[in-house]
Amino acid sequence: MVYVISWDDFVERSVQLFRTSPQKTRYVMKYRHSDGKLVLKVTDDKECLKFKTDQAQDAKKMEKLNNIFFTLMARGPETDITEVTGKEQTEQPAKRGRGRKQ
Amino acid sequence: MVRLQLDPFLNELTSMFEHTTEKGSVWVTLKHSSDKSKVQRNKITTAGKELEYKCLVRATDGKKNISTLVGTKDHQRFQASYATILKARMTSLKKREKKDKRKAADVVVDKKLPKTTKAMDVDKKQQVPVKRSSTANP
Repeated sequence: MVYVISWDDFVERSVQLFRTSPQKTRYVMKYRHSDGKLVLKVTDDKECLKFKTDQAQDAKKMEKLNNIFFTLMARGPETDITEVTGKEQTEQPAKRGRGRKQ
Repeated sequence: MVRLQLDPFLNELTSMFEHTTEKGSVWVTLKHSSDKSKVQRNKITTAGKELEYKCLVRATDGKKNISTLVGTKDHQRFQASYATILKARMTSLKKREKKDKRKAADVVVDKKLPKTTKAMDVDKKQQVPVKRSSTANP
């Protein structure tokens, strides 16, 4: 099993994998409360990418990835996901602006 | 495999998380699907019409299987509800307590820095990396 170390690397490769084979790619999430572990898997039955964690901060990152996948799968693989990631980018400068003014 | 509507699916998913608190896992799978067989898909494409795709969401706790289809219009709403459930339920993951304490210490140090001289700043900056490296090793 290919466990990816870097979160950003995992996101980039899984989106790429989905865009290559949208019919076969699936995104699986397994959560064990008793062990406090979360495992994510993206595969098209030829290539497999996995990510495991026990950190709460990764759950927040996973929510963003969920948003990306929901958008891609519900609307179509050609959807521009910068809408999803772009919203975050437009929010951040505004917050920084407020900070500087203070 | 039980095919449900969006809201019953979310309710069942919540109860799955509740049941697996002590023991067991919850698996959630997302897949891009048109929910039609290959024959039907070929017929639609040969007729020149476009295939309608949806997001197939499956969930299981190892014993019970549930699934639902999320269409383009529903996906924002489903996404928000799903995120809420996960945030509420994934409470056993570790929080970075050590880093939070370090961040709190750094904030306290940073607040003091503007009042001190540059020489003092250098000393404090040198101290901080040492602390970080020692706790990063384990």
